[in-house]
Amino acid sequence: MTNLEKYNKTFMEILNVEASELNAGFGFQTVSNWDSIAHMTLVSTFEDMFDIMLDTEDILNFVSYEAGKEILAKYGIEI
Amino acid sequence: MFLDLDKKAPNAPAVVDNLGFSLTYGDLVGFADGFCEKAGGRTLIFILCENCAGALAGYAACLSGRIVPLMLGNGMDRRLLKALIAEYRPAFLWVPESAAEDFGYPCVLEGFGYALIKTRLEPGPLYDGLSLLLTTSGSTGSPKLVRHSYENVESIARSVAEVFGMDENERGMVSLPLQFTQGLNVASSHLYGGSVALLSTDALMKREFWAFFKAQQATSFTGVPYSYEVLDRLRFFRMDLPHLRTINQGGGRLTDALFMKCAKYAADTGRRFVATYGATETTSRMAYLPPELAPEKCGSIGVAMPCGSISLFDDGREIRDANKTGEIVYKGPNVTLGYAERSADLARGDERGGVYATGDLAWRDEDGCHYIVGRKKRFLKLYGYRIGLDETELLIKNELGVLCACTGSDKKMSIYVTEKGIERDVVRFVSAKTGIIPGAFEVVFVEQIPKNDAGKTLYEKLGK
Repeated sequence: MTNLEKYNKTFMEILNVEASELNAGFGFQTVSNWDSIAHMTLVSTFEDMFDIMLDTEDILNFVSYEAGKEILAKYGIEI
Repeated sequence: MFLDLDKKAPNAPAVVDNLGFSLTYGDLVGFADGFCEKAGGRTLIFILCENCAGALAGYAACLSGRIVPLMLGNGMDRRLLKALIAEYRPAFLWVPESAAEDFGYPCVLEGFGYALIKTRLEPGPLYDGLSLLLTTSGSTGSPKLVRHSYENVESIARSVAEVFGMDENERGMVSLPLQFTQGLNVASSHLYGGSVALLSTDALMKREFWAFFKAQQATSFTGVPYSYEVLDRLRFFRMDLPHLRTINQGGGRLTDALFMKCAKYAADTGRRFVATYGATETTSRMAYLPPELAPEKCGSIGVAMPCGSISLFDDGREIRDANKTGEIVYKGPNVTLGYAERSADLARGDERGGVYATGDLAWRDEDGCHYIVGRKKRFLKLYGYRIGLDETELLIKNELGVLCACTGSDKKMSIYVTEKGIERDVVRFVSAKTGIIPGAFEVVFVEQIPKNDAGKTLYEKLGK
């Protein structure tokens, strides 16, 4: 599975959404399932999946599908 | 006046929130007068809480003017809210302005982003000593309420303010919801102490929350175990928070690892870590672990609050020896009056006489510090063995490092875990630990453990 496939699958499973919903507008503000617990679950899933540890700022900034890609790139994970 | 609000310096800051409201003690007192005049004397109102100044000012006004509020989360299901309104018939609702129009009732007063709207309903008779109502569970939809007296709220606010040394130098972050007993107690005890209550409507993992926390130079943080799990993830223990002096924990038991992390953090940085224990039925706190003992007493809830006492009972007999397990029975002025399940119950008086059997099992060490073992009722009898569900959860968390929740019947324990592929390991481990056959356990994978806003596990939502 490519990184993008893993990345998408995680969102789809944790937030219970379809692949077609994952676009530039997909984020904390617009997705009702994306609550505090989902946020922590997403972050910890990616940390485990890619074997990285995000900084506080990056966890707090992980507020959308696109922002997540940029943050993971900082840790050498190209989505 | 309630919490001696009128005895504080009128110009001293009392409440600051992230919406831009900043109130002095003088503002709170002045607001209370106007609020009570509009409400027209003793009656019942509902407050739909957001963690902001408007909700807290409304609460303080109600308790100052002998108006009885039921504190509810503004996010609560509207059908459920309607059912509560129909049952208890509050004369007014104090709601965020943005929600006020939904109800179609006329607005009689506005303040701090909130609106007082008049329902034209009339509540039934209210017991003279009744001060406040909270729900037993914000989420399950039960209309069961906890009835508080004035003495309940004031005595524990005073006791907590004393234990924590709250004065005008303290700026406490109230991050738990105001409709929950612990959040409300954090706010009340700060106001009693003449400190500043900081309120934010943002969740813990929002950057805005931490920007506010730092800008307002918060001196304390209070959280439940789930809050600390989030904090740990956020590398809280490495954050630069020069004004922070105290971290408080209540609302259930931390894992041993996280407890020690908090204790070590406090010891290393010259701060205080205070683990506490409480219940809605006791107007929040019953016990606290003196911070200097935290490093050596991992997982302990410590000793009774100065205003109360703790006894342990087994089969009706008090246990005086150390190291023996019994049910915690708490006595104190903060033990609430009783429950209400219908409007007529609001006329009832004190049904507990200051004594509350908690249903929590604990033992006491040689120094008099208590350790909770589990819930009296949260036990299964599997193949004749009594096995604690909370204990099992903690065992799995500590040993295997996975989040889990245990429920079940006396035939089978269901263990819900948030990791795939470890089902067999969990069964093997629990079976080995308890000496009960593997067939007595089933492990179910779930995406996440359902929790309420206060971080308590919603067991009733599992397996559906």
